[in-house]
Amino acid sequence: MSCTNELENFLRFLSMFDLTESKIRQLIAAMNDDFSLKHFCRMKIDKDLLSEDAVYKMRERAEQARIDTYIKNLSDQDIILLTRFDERFPESLRVLPDAPYYLFCKGDISLLKKPALSVVGTRKPSSYGRVVTNRIVSKVAKQGIVIVSGLAYGIDSLAHRACLDEGGKTIAVLGSGFNRIYPPDHQGLADEIAQKGLLVSEYTPSRSATRYTFPHRNRIIAALSSGTLITEASIKSGTIHTKEFALTYGKNIYSVPGNIDSPTSELTNDIIKSGQARCITCAEDILSDYGFQSQPKARTKTANSAAIQLTVEEQAITSLLEDGMKDVDFLTKNCGLNIDDFQSCLTMLEIRGIISKLPGGLISLK
Amino acid sequence: MLAKVTSFGLKGIDGYCVDVETDVSNGLPHFEIVGLADTAIKEAKERVRSAIKNSALVYPAKRITVNLAPADIKKEGSLYDLAMAVAILSCDDENEIKNYDKYCYIGELSFDGTVKQVRGVLPLLIAARKLGYKNFIIPKGNSFEASYISGINAYPVSSLLETLGFLKGNVTLQPIETCDFESALAAEKRGMDFCFVKGQKVAKRALEIAAAGGHNLLMIGPPGSGKSMLAKCFPSILPDMTFEEALEVTKIHSIAGELDLAKGIVSTRPFRCPHHTASTVSLTGGGTNSKPGEISLADHGVLFLDEFPEYSRHTIETLRQPLEDGVITVARSNATITYPANFTLIASMNPCPCGNYGSVDRECHCSASQINKYLSKLSGPIMDRIDIHIEVDNVTYDQLRSESNEECSADIKKRVDSARKIQLERFKGSSNYCNAKMSTAQTKKYCKLDAVCEEMLRSAFEKLKLSARAHDRILKVARTIADLAGSENILPKHVAEAISYRNLDKKYWR
Repeated sequence: MSCTNELENFLRFLSMFDLTESKIRQLIAAMNDDFSLKHFCRMKIDKDLLSEDAVYKMRERAEQARIDTYIKNLSDQDIILLTRFDERFPESLRVLPDAPYYLFCKGDISLLKKPALSVVGTRKPSSYGRVVTNRIVSKVAKQGIVIVSGLAYGIDSLAHRACLDEGGKTIAVLGSGFNRIYPPDHQGLADEIAQKGLLVSEYTPSRSATRYTFPHRNRIIAALSSGTLITEASIKSGTIHTKEFALTYGKNIYSVPGNIDSPTSELTNDIIKSGQARCITCAEDILSDYGFQSQPKARTKTANSAAIQLTVEEQAITSLLEDGMKDVDFLTKNCGLNIDDFQSCLTMLEIRGIISKLPGGLISLK
Repeated sequence: MLAKVTSFGLKGIDGYCVDVETDVSNGLPHFEIVGLADTAIKEAKERVRSAIKNSALVYPAKRITVNLAPADIKKEGSLYDLAMAVAILSCDDENEIKNYDKYCYIGELSFDGTVKQVRGVLPLLIAARKLGYKNFIIPKGNSFEASYISGINAYPVSSLLETLGFLKGNVTLQPIETCDFESALAAEKRGMDFCFVKGQKVAKRALEIAAAGGHNLLMIGPPGSGKSMLAKCFPSILPDMTFEEALEVTKIHSIAGELDLAKGIVSTRPFRCPHHTASTVSLTGGGTNSKPGEISLADHGVLFLDEFPEYSRHTIETLRQPLEDGVITVARSNATITYPANFTLIASMNPCPCGNYGSVDRECHCSASQINKYLSKLSGPIMDRIDIHIEVDNVTYDQLRSESNEECSADIKKRVDSARKIQLERFKGSSNYCNAKMSTAQTKKYCKLDAVCEEMLRSAFEKLKLSARAHDRILKVARTIADLAGSENILPKHVAEAISYRNLDKKYWR
């Protein structure tokens, strides 16, 4: 067995035990280029590096047969273990100073090498954040760009959802093992992504999430893509970690500006102001960086062309919405329709995908 | 000497005949009551003795035994006082009371001989009339209640002496005149008027539909958006009660002792709003006396549960069966009683514990899991039973101060009444009386969709990701909307409007 092969095998073995990168690095350094299991069982291991207990447990399992069953178990669960030395391992991760030694993947691993955009933000988006995330992500995803995010509440799940709805490809980087999806509500979404996209985690399947794992996985989110889009985030948000990683790795940061008095747009406005991020007002701004021809901006035009098929009543509503989202009370007062006609028109427009209803009784054009 | 007079007892909302058999014989002075009497009845001996003595009558210094037959049913309350006193006095020949057994007696005695009002007179009289009794002596305080029952002679009395005088023929009493229910209806004032609610057109429309079809409704909105105010206006647009409904409601209120004795009958649909700390038993009914609970008191009316998720989960879940069947069966060790509970549920809640989730101008401080926990207090089965969900938003200051003319309740009520008429015609002969209570078979029969509607509903389910449980609800609400529009068939726009009242299927509950 060549040295790399042995190391790869050894990493597979280590992946059973959820060691941190620095521990793995030190352990590998201590092994003097002999990565056979035999050597591992005989060598002296510093107590500061691994406790006696841990070493005992690891040595107990240091048999090739055990590793083979472990790998087989994983593949029975459709989990692929990629070590850093696997050629399918994404180049963008390999070059990181704190790159993971191995990744657990579930789904289509070819996505790791495709052009990607990370979308991150607050866990509690406002209506504005929802609309903007939906609008930009679905346009970007339509062009075949992979959407990377973290499966959390809020912007993360919105981005995954918008991408899947558009038939696009998406990668979710977890802060927990595959069998401990967090938040548990998103199990369904995770299953769907595993089927149509890719789930990635650096933690063993049984590992549950802790408060440290989330900021840690953010570096993978930032590294997997050539750009990071922040649609809405407050100053205290965990998004700030992803932004820092992206900055360190020299990635593009895109930020959607918001109202200056909106607490959920504090961070996005701040990083635009400080010049760390590019100000984004439409999907085309991002797409041009990915080599797509920016088309002439024609938002009002598309609205008009759709208007051709609208009834008079429906037009009365959409024309009120052209300069931004409105609340229901405003619409009922100004559209001049009876309330029963208004309600049925609203549903028809929603079914046809022309408007969307948002929490808080807000309506906006899609 | 033996005397037997007739009185009545209550089991649930139905009455039964109780014979008060009194035996006065020689022996040491003693007063004994048998026949599964509760404490209130046992204590009657003191009231009866004092009332007779203080009415300047002779209380026999003999051995008195009273039996309440049938002796195997537990009896409660103070309504047998008068019957016992009359029976005891009748045993004494000196009193010369001959025709005491021509009448049935209901009433409580006070020490000075006054006959005091009791609860439950209306259901008792209705049951007695059914059993063939005609002549009654009842407390004067209950006379309004009795005035709505035709075909009986109820003589109101104010004291024991007056009763004796009447029985001896010394005093003449006129039976209570039967009162017209229509006039009671006309005199009613109901709730707050919708013309005081500014804006909120969608919410008003949803309430109109709920009133017309008897649909349960849930309002979601931030604090201060006027949810409670809207709910308080709701009774003003409910259709008038029929006499049968009024009698049923009055029965329940009479038993619970909640009847306004000056009116005698409940002629407006009840509006009950128990606080969210209410215990489960206070809502469902029960306790040692098996009294009706809030949901029965709201029979044929509205049960308004403000801050819905704040009620204990257990309490909310107990509403499942009554919401489905329209009755609640309270089983206790001494009796199993079924009370009607045919109410419309109006519930309101905030979108999250702090109330600002989804708000434009205020930040929500709740974590995602807090919001989930808050919303998950409403289980699927409960949501299944709520046809209409709407969001109620904050009203802006301008709207509040605007002088715009809002539609008043009377106009809305006219539309509701005509829609209800169509439904009564439709469900003639079945136990059902409104669209919300349609069975699956009836839904199939009366909510037929044409191809266009069918196609629209299908695409709505796909595009808007509605849950399957919404399907029948949408049909029923669409039926009501069509009825409001006076349309025989359900049109696409009716279905579309019905879908717009299913917000939560797609958003909060996913």
